[in-house]
Amino acid sequence: MSLLKVNNLSYAYSGATPFFNDALKDVSFNIEKGEIIGIIGHTGSGKSTLVQHLNGLLKPNSGEILLENENIWDNPKEIRKVRSKVGLVFQYPEYQLFEETVYKDIAFGPKNMGIADDEIDKCVRDICAIIGVKEEHFNKSPFDLSGGEKRRVAIAGVMAMKPEIIIFDEPTSGLDPKGREDIIEIIKNYREATGATVIIISHNMEDMAVIADKLLVLNKGKLEMFDTVEKIFSNRVKLNSIGLDVPIVTRVFDELIKRGVDVEKDIFTVEKAIESLKKVKAGDSNA
Amino acid sequence: MLKDITFGQYYESGSVIHRIDARVKILLLILIIVFIFISSNLFSILFSALGIFTIILVSGVPFSLYAKNLKAILPILLITFVINLFYGEGEALISFWKLSITTGGLYRAFYMSLRIALLIFISSALTYTTTPNDLTYAIEKLLSPLKYVGLQNAVHTLAMMMTIVLRFIPILVEETQKIMNAQKARGADLENGSLMRRIKALIPILIPLLISSIRHAYELAEAMECRCYTGGEGRTRMKQMRLTKIDFYSSCFAVLGCLIVILLNIIF
Repeated sequence: MSLLKVNNLSYAYSGATPFFNDALKDVSFNIEKGEIIGIIGHTGSGKSTLVQHLNGLLKPNSGEILLENENIWDNPKEIRKVRSKVGLVFQYPEYQLFEETVYKDIAFGPKNMGIADDEIDKCVRDICAIIGVKEEHFNKSPFDLSGGEKRRVAIAGVMAMKPEIIIFDEPTSGLDPKGREDIIEIIKNYREATGATVIIISHNMEDMAVIADKLLVLNKGKLEMFDTVEKIFSNRVKLNSIGLDVPIVTRVFDELIKRGVDVEKDIFTVEKAIESLKKVKAGDSNA
Repeated sequence: MLKDITFGQYYESGSVIHRIDARVKILLLILIIVFIFISSNLFSILFSALGIFTIILVSGVPFSLYAKNLKAILPILLITFVINLFYGEGEALISFWKLSITTGGLYRAFYMSLRIALLIFISSALTYTTTPNDLTYAIEKLLSPLKYVGLQNAVHTLAMMMTIVLRFIPILVEETQKIMNAQKARGADLENGSLMRRIKALIPILIPLLISSIRHAYELAEAMECRCYTGGEGRTRMKQMRLTKIDFYSSCFAVLGCLIVILLNIIF
């Protein structure tokens, strides 16, 4: 049984204006429990529109979304329950902080779910331990934190609801390399601690290669490909045709192979690349 | 709700109305509004309506956009209609309790609502066919005589503030939508509960919005300083506004229309 099933989803931003826009066309896919899915696509390909359907912020024009085999729109009054099961971290989540203290802000989500106070306290402390928000920050104003810390707190605010599926829309945008690594680390830690299913939208193929199991490629509102990272990144021609590319390190290795260097094919991460180069070097010294 | 705000939305169709000088357009708008109020009988108001619908037709902006603006004030329109129904002399059509709807009242209700609708249509015609920048520059120009009474800075500052407001309305609307979605994703309940609870539910939206407006203001101020903005004095524009034949002819048409309204008022 799939955890999340999307069947023939179509959506158009409507309104009686001439700025009509077909955002999603007949998209179908299944996501199994525990997978890490990356969503990639050109700007305006419908990535953000798609994820806003998964937690019921947008209602499809046609098609259905099944969460644990139940259509999430069967009972529109209960849509907030879906939102606590499917957490969504928006782009630049630090702009949604509003409470007086870090602690209160993180507790906002669990509080909305209507759970008891001591339970909320446990949620907040658990999540802060997992992703490294220090207890000394609890009584600070979130607006006094640095940019990276603000984002961490904002992400904690969604994670504190303990969603079974958590979606990140461009979680690393606007951060320096260190900040990017930190966020990827947070996501990995959360998944390890809770076994949650993770969906990430990103423009950064390097990040995707490091973290994702499968990639979902969107192009102009249509599902172009949905497969393992290896299969997607080995289809460079198709990716290029829709304005995307493979990680830089893969491009470097492709070029090396072209020039007759005997390295492995299909290298997507820097770590693998280093390993492979070491092997080549060892081979050379043996010879 | 947020989607219905079309204020300051320019619609490009390249019509002759678009090409009228913004200053002339504002003056003509004032003239037409005055004459909508001067139209004192059915014939003159119907003639005004005819004139305004011609302008709408010529503007090349889809009628649905005009209708959308009318929809926003529908409650006011309905209240005006209903209240005026009961004020009027003449033959009673329907009577109940102490109230009666008379032919006079019916006529008056129709007439008053038409007047309001026409006001909305003609003002929308201005905003749909003139870019916000042109509009504020035209206002600045039209108010420029105020510099003789020592208000030269005030006029420019006011115009600049209006430009910024118009520019930022769509940005803030979009931002509000984003923040609302983000808080909804965290389980915020904006639709249900008592009035008090709903007001409280706005806090998680208003505070981030306030903070981001201040952030925008800082960034904009810095960007303006970087481009050596020092206020209105000595500032010139890349596109100077010049009067053309179109402005002359459109003014002639408008004045002609107004004369006909006066004539119709006198004859009937």
